[in-house]
Amino acid sequence: MKAVVLAAGEGTRLRPFTVSRPKVMIPVGNKPILEYVVGALVANGLRDIVLVVGYRKERIMSHFQDGKKFGARIAYAIQEKQLGTAHALSVASQFIDGDCMVVAGDNLIDGRTVADLLQNCRVPAVLVTESEIPSKYGVVQVEGERVSSLVEKPERRIGNVISTGMYCLNQELLRKIEEGVAAGLPGITHVLQALVSRIHVSAVQTTGKWIDAIYPWDIIGVNAAALSFQGQDISGTVESGATIKGHVSIGSGTRIRSGSYIEGPVVVGEGCDIGPNVTILPSTSIGNGVQIEPYTYISNSVIMNNVHIGSHSHLSHSVLDDGARAATGLMSPSGPAYAKVDEEFFKLENVGLLVGEDSVIGAGVVTAPGTIVGAGCRIGNGVRVAGNLENKSVVV
Amino acid sequence: MCGIVGYTGSRQAVDILLDALKRLEYRGYDSAGIAVCGKGVQIFKDKGEISSLEKSLPRIHGTVGISHTRWATCGKPSKENAHPFADCTGRFALVHNGIIENHRQLRQKLESEGHRFTSETDTEVLVHLLEANFNGDVHSALRESLKEVKGTYAIAVASSDSNEIVAARMENPLVIGLGVGENLVASDVPALLNYTNKILHVMDGETAVISPDSVAIYDESGAEVKRNPSTVTWTIEDAEKGGFEHFMLKEILEGPSSIHNSLLGSLDGVEEGEFLQDVGFKSVKIVACGSSFHAAMIGKYVIENLSHIPTTLELASEYRYSHGTKESPLVILVTQSGETADTLAAAREARRRGCRTLAITNVVGSTITREVDEVFYTRAGPEIGVAATKTFLTQLVALSLLAMRMGFARRQLDHERLRILKAELRSMPRYVEAVIDGAQQIEGSVEMLAGARDAFFIGRNINFPTMLEGALKLKEISYIHAEGYAAGELKHGPLALLDSRTPVVAACIKDHTYDKMLSNVSEVAARDSPVIGIGYEDDMDLRSIVDRFIGIPKVDPIFSPIPITVVLQLLAYHTAKRKGCSIDKPRNLAKSVTVE
Repeated sequence: MKAVVLAAGEGTRLRPFTVSRPKVMIPVGNKPILEYVVGALVANGLRDIVLVVGYRKERIMSHFQDGKKFGARIAYAIQEKQLGTAHALSVASQFIDGDCMVVAGDNLIDGRTVADLLQNCRVPAVLVTESEIPSKYGVVQVEGERVSSLVEKPERRIGNVISTGMYCLNQELLRKIEEGVAAGLPGITHVLQALVSRIHVSAVQTTGKWIDAIYPWDIIGVNAAALSFQGQDISGTVESGATIKGHVSIGSGTRIRSGSYIEGPVVVGEGCDIGPNVTILPSTSIGNGVQIEPYTYISNSVIMNNVHIGSHSHLSHSVLDDGARAATGLMSPSGPAYAKVDEEFFKLENVGLLVGEDSVIGAGVVTAPGTIVGAGCRIGNGVRVAGNLENKSVVV
Repeated sequence: MCGIVGYTGSRQAVDILLDALKRLEYRGYDSAGIAVCGKGVQIFKDKGEISSLEKSLPRIHGTVGISHTRWATCGKPSKENAHPFADCTGRFALVHNGIIENHRQLRQKLESEGHRFTSETDTEVLVHLLEANFNGDVHSALRESLKEVKGTYAIAVASSDSNEIVAARMENPLVIGLGVGENLVASDVPALLNYTNKILHVMDGETAVISPDSVAIYDESGAEVKRNPSTVTWTIEDAEKGGFEHFMLKEILEGPSSIHNSLLGSLDGVEEGEFLQDVGFKSVKIVACGSSFHAAMIGKYVIENLSHIPTTLELASEYRYSHGTKESPLVILVTQSGETADTLAAAREARRRGCRTLAITNVVGSTITREVDEVFYTRAGPEIGVAATKTFLTQLVALSLLAMRMGFARRQLDHERLRILKAELRSMPRYVEAVIDGAQQIEGSVEMLAGARDAFFIGRNINFPTMLEGALKLKEISYIHAEGYAAGELKHGPLALLDSRTPVVAACIKDHTYDKMLSNVSEVAARDSPVIGIGYEDDMDLRSIVDRFIGIPKVDPIFSPIPITVVLQLLAYHTAKRKGCSIDKPRNLAKSVTVE
């Protein structure tokens, strides 16, 4: 069976972290979400993978190339305009002959998730799970093991079982989906909605991992879930006097200087310079080429590639995108906060600072919990920042 | 440049020879040929592409054979001049890379002895020489023949009555691939990767006899050499396009990870002296060709700025014929492939003059690594596109690290400045990625260049050579006549050529030459030339006086050539694409130039 992975979307609600990468390429545990998806498929023997790419497709192609490095054979189908999942699938149809598995490339899954669908399914089938916010997804109603109805983003609560966007489909359904696209239906759920009364579509429950990131602060939780490796894997240099506890991975060419304290699960990439006397606490990912200066404290955060964090800084439940630079004394404690995305308000329990790529933050800046700084912003010395800053804002 | 493949085993040789030969296509060629030993030696060859040769082939049976792609040096591209060549009796087929310097004398001699030549090439003398020296054993005949030959070569010979391939090497790459029940020989590793990753390197002066079950290598005296095979770690997938339309774009996009890899481990080495342990030399000379020479020119500025060690430059093809000076500088040789003939010769010349030598190269185990005292690997990964892209960036990184090492060890560079420079280099992958992410901003400039017949690239100081490289990139893949010029030299001639149809690309970085650059830009604009200005992204002054503005991140000026080069690579790529040019295989050009 071939697998089709939908990876063309931008993920506009995840801005600023999707300014220059598609949603599937957001790194958690130092690997793009899509790499976990490909890994889960390959672990189940699904090596022939069609990636449907579109927004910033070069990022994906550059990373995965022809797939050999990941044990897969990857072909690319290009969806020029992101017109929905059904359309994305129709773009890939030229590569599919028999049955196929369809997977969303932007959900963190593991091998068990794929195995659940693969082993229990009678094609066609949809993999379902329970969600606390069903209104964001397609809600599935099940009779026995058959899907009796499917409602995309219901306005009123009709149940908490949702479609994971993972399907096993046969040629008949693929043809129906193409017909649906021709009729102007955007999503796979929209097409299935009309069909489930006539065609037997089975619903398969999963016990495996399935985590979605919709909003920027979700990256913190997805990252924590991704850091599930065991043991210590240290390729870089750890100077004497530094403490490494728990499950920690440190990449080659990285130096952890004396007096630093790292408590896993933590992953540190290649070519970083950390310390002396830096504290990194659980569920933190640090990318490649990151410099963290002395006396800085980081907990439960995602620090992406080539970030520079000055001395005496405090970051908790925070995300710093590629190339972000903070001078000395950035204070970004976490706490309850209200955040706003697309005119929608959210009450968050515990969040710190979210910073887009290449933003530069001056010395002694204090940020309120839930602050979102766009990409390419400039924040002057000694400023207090709260709320949302647009891309390329300048604050003095 | 030319490519050689030989196969002996149990499979049909044709399929393997053609497939392996295609892996060498990227090196550039004008004709291709194949010889298979079955019933006698059957030779098929023609001017043009491998695929058209393939179409014209009848079914040929045989499990031993050789094939060749030719890039004309001696005799024009034609069917007659394509390899393989047969002797008068049709017993042998021979392919050759390199140049036989005394081919005229040999040819005269052989013709007077009655040998009939069919081509204008130097190669053909080899096969007739072999025939003349043949006394029942091909290997000893080849060894005898090579004694009479002056020049450089990689040779493979197949014979009608044997399943052995005999090969020889002198200053041209040759590798043997070890399979199970089959063995291959080729001029370059990528040709072999589909069949094996176990490789035996053949050295200068050595000959080899390859049969399906055994490989024997002999030194110049004829004694057998024992050598352990090495395993190639990069695989064919590294060398394939993976969804991209062109290798060049794929490779530009690999710039950030290439820089990351080339920094790994080397950043700490600056203080710890993991490279250039001893810095007791009085001066530096950098020797290179082509794009590597432009990297060298930038390197001169960086070394002199950071270490104050006097640095000179020389083209490899000139250095070998120049005169030595009393002082012996540290000679740095820059070559991506490690096989560039002129640079190899320069390395030998430098050692003959008693200079310490250091090579900056991308290819582990390449010939230059055996010719020098110290090697600095750029670790950019294989580069297939003829136009150097990511490897050029890593050469700049390598030269910067060497300069920082010299400056630090000679106490010209204090800790504070070194720390800032290291932080800048550590961030470099992101700076480059940011340029790539912002590629849509070059759109209007591409438009401007694609419609032009001529273009000028101007810069000052460290970005003068950057612009030479930018002009070279545009020339080589988009066939637009482009000239790099030091901005201060414009008024000494080129201004006369400027008009509204000649765009000028100008690099204006806020260093001590900034004001001068701005006046040069105004000077150019006053001649109605459309100006594309490249500067720091927040540079409003520049933005206001140019027709198209391209912003780069605010890196330290000393490293500004790196992001600016990426802009220029993208400009050249998109311009060539807009014009519909053959980007990965530009006409008349080859990747690594193994002829002199």
